[in-house]
Amino acid sequence: MDQAPPFLSVRDLKTYFYPDEGIVRAVDGVTFDIRRGATLGIVGESGCGKSVTARSILRIVESPGRIVGGSIVLRQDITRPDPDVQAALDGRAEIDLTQVSPEGREMRSVRGAVVSLVFQEPMSSFSPVHTVGNQIIEAIRLHRNVSKREARDRAIELLRRVGIPRAEQRVDEYTFQLSGGLRQRAMIAMALSCDPLLLIADEPTTALDVTTQAQILDLLQELQDQNGMAIMLITHNLGVIAEMADDVAVMYLGRVVEQGPVDDIFHAPKHPYTRALLESIPSIHSVPRVKLPTITGSIPHPYNRPKGCPFHPRCVSYMRGVCERDIPALSTIGRQQVSCYLYENTSVAAAGE
Amino acid sequence: MIATKNTTIERDDVLLEVRHLKKFFPVRRGVLRRLVGHVRAVDDVTFDVRAGETLALVGESGCGKTTTARCVLRAIAPNSGQILFRTEAGQVVDVAAMARHSLRPLRREMQMIFQDPFSSLNPRMTLLDIVGEPLIVNGIGSRSERIDRVAELLRLVGLRPEYMRRFPHAFSGGQRQRIGIARALALHPRLLVADEPVSALDVSVQAQILNLMLDLQERLGLTYLFVAHDLSVVKHISDRVAVMYVGQMVELTEAPRLFATPKHPYTEALLASIPDPDPRRRPGRGGSDGASPDGSSGERPRRAVLSGEVANPAAPPSGCYFHPRCPYVVDLCRNMAPSWNEIRPGHWVRCHRSEELKLRGVETPVGVN
Repeated sequence: MDQAPPFLSVRDLKTYFYPDEGIVRAVDGVTFDIRRGATLGIVGESGCGKSVTARSILRIVESPGRIVGGSIVLRQDITRPDPDVQAALDGRAEIDLTQVSPEGREMRSVRGAVVSLVFQEPMSSFSPVHTVGNQIIEAIRLHRNVSKREARDRAIELLRRVGIPRAEQRVDEYTFQLSGGLRQRAMIAMALSCDPLLLIADEPTTALDVTTQAQILDLLQELQDQNGMAIMLITHNLGVIAEMADDVAVMYLGRVVEQGPVDDIFHAPKHPYTRALLESIPSIHSVPRVKLPTITGSIPHPYNRPKGCPFHPRCVSYMRGVCERDIPALSTIGRQQVSCYLYENTSVAAAGE
Repeated sequence: MIATKNTTIERDDVLLEVRHLKKFFPVRRGVLRRLVGHVRAVDDVTFDVRAGETLALVGESGCGKTTTARCVLRAIAPNSGQILFRTEAGQVVDVAAMARHSLRPLRREMQMIFQDPFSSLNPRMTLLDIVGEPLIVNGIGSRSERIDRVAELLRLVGLRPEYMRRFPHAFSGGQRQRIGIARALALHPRLLVADEPVSALDVSVQAQILNLMLDLQERLGLTYLFVAHDLSVVKHISDRVAVMYVGQMVELTEAPRLFATPKHPYTEALLASIPDPDPRRRPGRGGSDGASPDGSSGERPRRAVLSGEVANPAAPPSGCYFHPRCPYVVDLCRNMAPSWNEIRPGHWVRCHRSEELKLRGVETPVGVN
């Protein structure tokens, strides 16, 4: 729907882990686009590969994991050129992040400056022995040629912008002196220190209480309105996705099973997994104490991946002799894309709903 | 504190009555571990639990909901207050005042379901040992009777009895939570205290466990004290809800009433903070037109979000503990602590202005979902 090519395109990404026990296909053919200024929500349960996808984009997958296939293409937007992207691209029109060295110059100029990451647990992602300010200053001076003084002023301004009271004092405090909500804000301030075009937020509110969660989500939207940055929001909380996302990708066992605009995903879900997931959550608006529809079984162990469609053993629409053979391709229905044999031949025809 | 400690429960349908419960934890500092203050984890909490109902305790981390639940089980001893429990034999006992050694017969009637099914099951014990342990501890039945009972319990929670020789590692999170529930049910308890029983589970498994709990309640006539922070889950499972803030209860009433017409500003704020799993009701998106918003076009209006942070329970603010964050604060709130008032039968609120304020709840729309 956008005329400009998306700013980041992930195509058939495969990131496997090779521990001694066998192969874990954590990400097994993931495809999606991220548009500038929009929010892509990635939903999935444990083990679906959502965090590994994020780490693959930043090339910080830990051993024994590595990217074994696919591409992650970062493009310059000609209408709105960005110096950080230019630095990373070095004159090229686009760059495939899977093809560059994780420690190389390109990747280092992408991390923090073009794409930055907010982790779930801010306590473990900050250093406990450095002040919050020094850690933000370090990030700024890594990418920007500024003096310590200027970097410090910028750090204070960032802390103020994310709503930390008494920022000029907090800048010299250690993370253990901050509450959970403030720590997460400081984490976001650090992630924003070099005006990234894409902020990857990996379960940014999962460890927080609901009122703090609401504050952080509002902050992210506000910052997006101001900077026009894209957000890739990873969460298992469908409520958070519904409030924040423009587009949604639903993942199951390392694959995107369905993706599309948020309204279509929530109101006309196509994939049996998306449908079942949406039906199974108790909503604040639903009728209480009635039996919730459930998904039978549980998520398989990563070593026992089902053959064919990964969801087929739990699927209500399972077709014997079809679903367990091959992995279904993504078919396009209206504005959605779905990976399911129910829609293999009906593609364009059944678009109107 | 009330001068006379009467140990009778007035209403016949009440299984548990907690009166003026207090639990303070000492705060010590320095090499001499000098006492510098107290964390008022549970600060004068009063409520009752009726037989066969689910009462939910909700609130944010540190509000004292778990401490309250643990006091009820006497896993920790409260500083003061009464915990009256009607035993199966019809007697009323004060759990708070009982000697530790005399608690054992009572433990059969109150059991706990834990939050984390990965750390609450001993990895070296088989299901037979885990689920059968309460029977051994209480000297119930021979070995073969125990095996029969474990098989029955596993069937009850939806697991195959053949699994009883296996170890917990062979099971998924949802199955482990079923094992924990089977263990809790082994002694035919009447009150089950469930502390965040589904919050560690995947979304697709949560519904299975919630259904199981509702089903068991109906079949076995169980009473639940349900501790949770997820209000959507609470709304689904509870008959009544108690909201806690900094060690105090601020509102207690029937679930539908609490969600529709909250009477405490903190309850209103909690309800407004729940992310709604329907993009059409997203704050600032009028109508049901599903056009994809095009990113950065102007400011999106937002819902009212509570500012500030939860008060420190070691040094709570003056007056009403919620007043520094309350949008409806008046001078009275800063100076005087509100009392726990029954504003209409069965609806308790701790707020000076509960009668005059018009607070927003969550509508349960007809015909949606």
